[in-house]
Amino acid sequence: MRNSDNSPRLYALSGPKKHMHTLRLILISLTVLIFTFTGRAATPESSPKATLSGYIRDASNGEFLIGVSIYCAELRSGTVSNNYGFYSLSLSPGTYTLRFSYIGFEMQEIKVRLMKDSVADISMAPLHAELGEVVITGKRTDANVRAPEMSMVKMDIKTIQKVPALLGEVDVIKVLQLLPGVQSTSEGSTGFSVRGGSSDQNLILLDEATIHNASHLMGFFSVFNNDAIKDVTLYKGDIPAAYGGRLSSLLDVRMKDGNAREYKVTGSIGTVSSKLTFEGPLLANRTTFLVSGRRTYADLFLPLAKDENVRKSKLYFYDLNLKITHVLNENNRFYLSGYAGHDTFKNQFASMGFGNQTGSFRWNHLFSKRLFFNLSLVSSRYKYQLGTPEGEASSFRWTSMMRDYSARFDFSWYPVSNHTLRYGATTTFHEFFPGSATGLGSATAISDFILPSEYALEHSLYASDEYKISPAFTLKYGLRFAVFQNVGPGTYYNFDASYNPVDSVVYGRGDVFHTYSSLEPRLAFTYLVSDVSSVKGSYSHTAQFLTLAQNSTAGTPLDIWFPATPNVKPQLCDQAAIGYFRNFSSNRYEASVEVYYKSFRNVIDFRDHAVLLLNPYLEGELRIGKGYSYGIETLLRKNEGVVTGWISYTYSRAFRQVDEINNGNRYPAPFDKPHTVNVVVNYEISSRWSASATWVYATGLPVTFPTGRAVVGNAVIPIYSDRNAYRMPDYHRLDVSATLKGKQKPGRKWQGEWNLSVYNAYNRHNAWSINFSHDSKDPNITYAEKTYLFAIIPALTYNFKF
Amino acid sequence: MNTHTISRFITESKLFSWLSGSGSSHRFPAGKFRFRPERVVSFMRPAFMVFGLTLFLASCTERIDVELDSSYTRLVVDGSITTDTTAHTVILTSTSSYFFNQPAPPVTGAQVSITDGTLTFGLAEAEPGVYRTAPLVHGVPGHTYTLNIKLAQPIGGHEDYSAMSTLEPVSPLDSVSLLFHPEWSKEGIWEVKCYVQEPPTVDFYRFLIYRNQKLVTDTLNEWFVTDDKFFNGNYTNGASVAYLQQGSPEEGLRPGDRVTLEVNSIGKAYYTFVTEAQAEIRGSNPLFSGPPSNVTGNITNGAVGFFSAHSVTRSVAVAPQFP
Repeated sequence: MRNSDNSPRLYALSGPKKHMHTLRLILISLTVLIFTFTGRAATPESSPKATLSGYIRDASNGEFLIGVSIYCAELRSGTVSNNYGFYSLSLSPGTYTLRFSYIGFEMQEIKVRLMKDSVADISMAPLHAELGEVVITGKRTDANVRAPEMSMVKMDIKTIQKVPALLGEVDVIKVLQLLPGVQSTSEGSTGFSVRGGSSDQNLILLDEATIHNASHLMGFFSVFNNDAIKDVTLYKGDIPAAYGGRLSSLLDVRMKDGNAREYKVTGSIGTVSSKLTFEGPLLANRTTFLVSGRRTYADLFLPLAKDENVRKSKLYFYDLNLKITHVLNENNRFYLSGYAGHDTFKNQFASMGFGNQTGSFRWNHLFSKRLFFNLSLVSSRYKYQLGTPEGEASSFRWTSMMRDYSARFDFSWYPVSNHTLRYGATTTFHEFFPGSATGLGSATAISDFILPSEYALEHSLYASDEYKISPAFTLKYGLRFAVFQNVGPGTYYNFDASYNPVDSVVYGRGDVFHTYSSLEPRLAFTYLVSDVSSVKGSYSHTAQFLTLAQNSTAGTPLDIWFPATPNVKPQLCDQAAIGYFRNFSSNRYEASVEVYYKSFRNVIDFRDHAVLLLNPYLEGELRIGKGYSYGIETLLRKNEGVVTGWISYTYSRAFRQVDEINNGNRYPAPFDKPHTVNVVVNYEISSRWSASATWVYATGLPVTFPTGRAVVGNAVIPIYSDRNAYRMPDYHRLDVSATLKGKQKPGRKWQGEWNLSVYNAYNRHNAWSINFSHDSKDPNITYAEKTYLFAIIPALTYNFKF
Repeated sequence: MNTHTISRFITESKLFSWLSGSGSSHRFPAGKFRFRPERVVSFMRPAFMVFGLTLFLASCTERIDVELDSSYTRLVVDGSITTDTTAHTVILTSTSSYFFNQPAPPVTGAQVSITDGTLTFGLAEAEPGVYRTAPLVHGVPGHTYTLNIKLAQPIGGHEDYSAMSTLEPVSPLDSVSLLFHPEWSKEGIWEVKCYVQEPPTVDFYRFLIYRNQKLVTDTLNEWFVTDDKFFNGNYTNGASVAYLQQGSPEEGLRPGDRVTLEVNSIGKAYYTFVTEAQAEIRGSNPLFSGPPSNVTGNITNGAVGFFSAHSVTRSVAVAPQFP
């Protein structure tokens, strides 16, 4: 293993001249492009500009709000607050009416007489829906129609908390799986497939740090502790130019900054886990902090066991989130956030542990009221280890790790009211330690088996502009240039036509021995057909340089990431989508229809019986092909009132074609589910009682079943159909929950609520897997057997706040 | 231990005995990975009693009806020649639909022979579909053997089939020992430990267990096969090669029972065939399994199965008195 003292920058400087040249060229042309457009855009409004800028906060706790829409009635145009709650609008001097609207918050309207650059920090009050009362007067938010984004879902934590959850453990990713175009990879799993992509094609960011494995406990829970999270945005297509490296989606999760008003403790005691969050202001309200922890406690009771082996066993996971935000002055803010999570399994035979650790440091700087700058320094690590106890001939320890260090800067420039430019650069140093198995103790007969580590650099440069050509027409265009470089030391194998390794090349420390680059255009438009309807379209090209060696549908924590190399080309995807968005009943109902088509190149699949773990010739197990997916997603959503929720129906297909798989014939991709229906309803019965229900229906996943059998060695060996020629039974499930809030008394700080949830309320035995087995007495008798995981499961959780 | 085995060992047999409850049916190769709630409950009962609910409490298996198509009929070959001086057997059957639920249809009347280029052994049909050499025949390490089959009627459009396999040498076993682990299951489990100097070449092994001369590991899914990746050139020093459940009528030992360990040095192709077949017999689950795929044999013309030439070494341990 290598020391971590290798600075990524060193490698960047040693890159081949040719690529440095290309990079410089791109940089120059992007700058020219940006200046040309903004120069032109500036002409029509030649009168002197005044900028209104500021930060938007949640009035109840001082959290900065992301994605608040700011609409200027006079110009019929506006902007949205960025990831740090900042907004900026450059207008000609005059008097304006500005509307700030955000789902779940009371709309706020301010009148400003703008003569010179001004600051307006806004505090928005959260809505409290009460029975029988129409809470909001005036216009509701029409962001669904107006926002220049499509194929994007924003989830606020309040909505997520209302959805009934497995074992009462509310999970961000499981709620996202209830949206059109997002499929769960297997029953109860937090793995997800977006628009026919694989689960490793999702870029999952927590405060800008990549989470390489977002699962706990074999995927039944995600690493995201709801109490520490402020904002969740999923891009199913049209991924912003600032992000890349994954084909199918971006899941951008932002942690809370910490309550800026008062000290607050939030917690819950649940069936599987308990959570506790402590947050508050520090240092004259310039600093806030948040500490949040979660731990499952199945094993806290194990010491009570009679059996000594059980007493010594362990089975738990924990998460720890930490964040400190410091406002130095009007122009400088600092954010330090960290996450650590770990799963531990241990019994008398074996032990296993895995987890992520991330850290992000960010600096926001306002160069001017129109130029927002962010610098991020991020590290992320995923590792696992497993082994058996010492003292036996087969005692061993097996470890694997992946680590990233990255630096990025992003500029948001608001030169005029109808242009928002975003540009920046990132560089990441990836380290891969795919696996080492070493004998443990003196009695072991196992020799050390260590796979060589691999290193890579990933750089990107991007620029994008959101151009409001007219009040009705907005164009978003951008370009991302990504470079991926393999860096020594490393050992690479060359393979012959039948994928046998023929020779290997060893590269020295610091050698940049292979480079891929990709130019990724992003294009999107929004055309307002009327005040309540719009047509949106988008096209994006994405490249993915890292792949997860995962051959099963749900995956395990042992799956490793591997980089593109001379043998493995980056996977590429082109996606085009068009959608119609319409709001009804003065924005009370939102409806949308989106159609998409995706074409994949260099899709990675694995040969039959592939060996993906501890295999030095992993690349020889890959089979490269192409794929495509298409679908139509419909959504009807109600965000306000006593009854809220959504109904969606999705028709989607996904296929692959790989020469060496399924005799070269096209086959359904692993997550091809043609029909999906999701219904989510939340009903505020009274000021204390509320109830929620979700119902999901999906076509069963494609599977391969035996169509014949042979007897060899007294055992029945199956002979299979074509790849994925059959389907699992249809999946459907109803979950319900009820929440009872404690009585509100004036002066009482303690707020508690009971939540009772029932997962799989009508006890359907949804198949998790179908296997073909033989009778233990007569092996000639074969039968099909399904395994289902969760029958009806009730759970009780108590949430509190003080 | 190879990677297949390590991962299977960890993920399915030992570690996940926690979840699957297979801790009580503890044997290489690992049994089918299944959540067995009744076992989990007994294993972790105290925790559950306090805890009330748990993830896998409600997980179950149940038989279901699945409609399957049939594919075309193929020849199935199951044969070997070893260094033992005995009658060597080749079994010819044909494939059937998956829910055929009867013994495989024998393929009778074929002409079968095994040759190493110099010597040719004819095989006579001893019973329907079962072809045997003369009783005192043995294979020689280093020789490559070819199996030739000529069918009376074509199957899958072919009458002639053949297969080749090179007989790999094996290092003689030093010894074998038995270690009883009363705590591993209700009645306890015997660990069979193997002592042999593993040669520096790349080798593949199959381990078979006999109790009083009767083969215990009599079906393919019970064999333990491995490559030498993790102990190449080492002294194995008592590495576990099999587990016997004291609670099982076939495997349980009484004091004085003779346990024979047979080690076969098999070729890479046969090793691959056995591991692939075991994976397919074991079944799949969304966590660990790739897509089901057909097993790669070494018979020509699309026939299923394997013809293996391999060497044999044996050693005996006697079951001790135990508490």
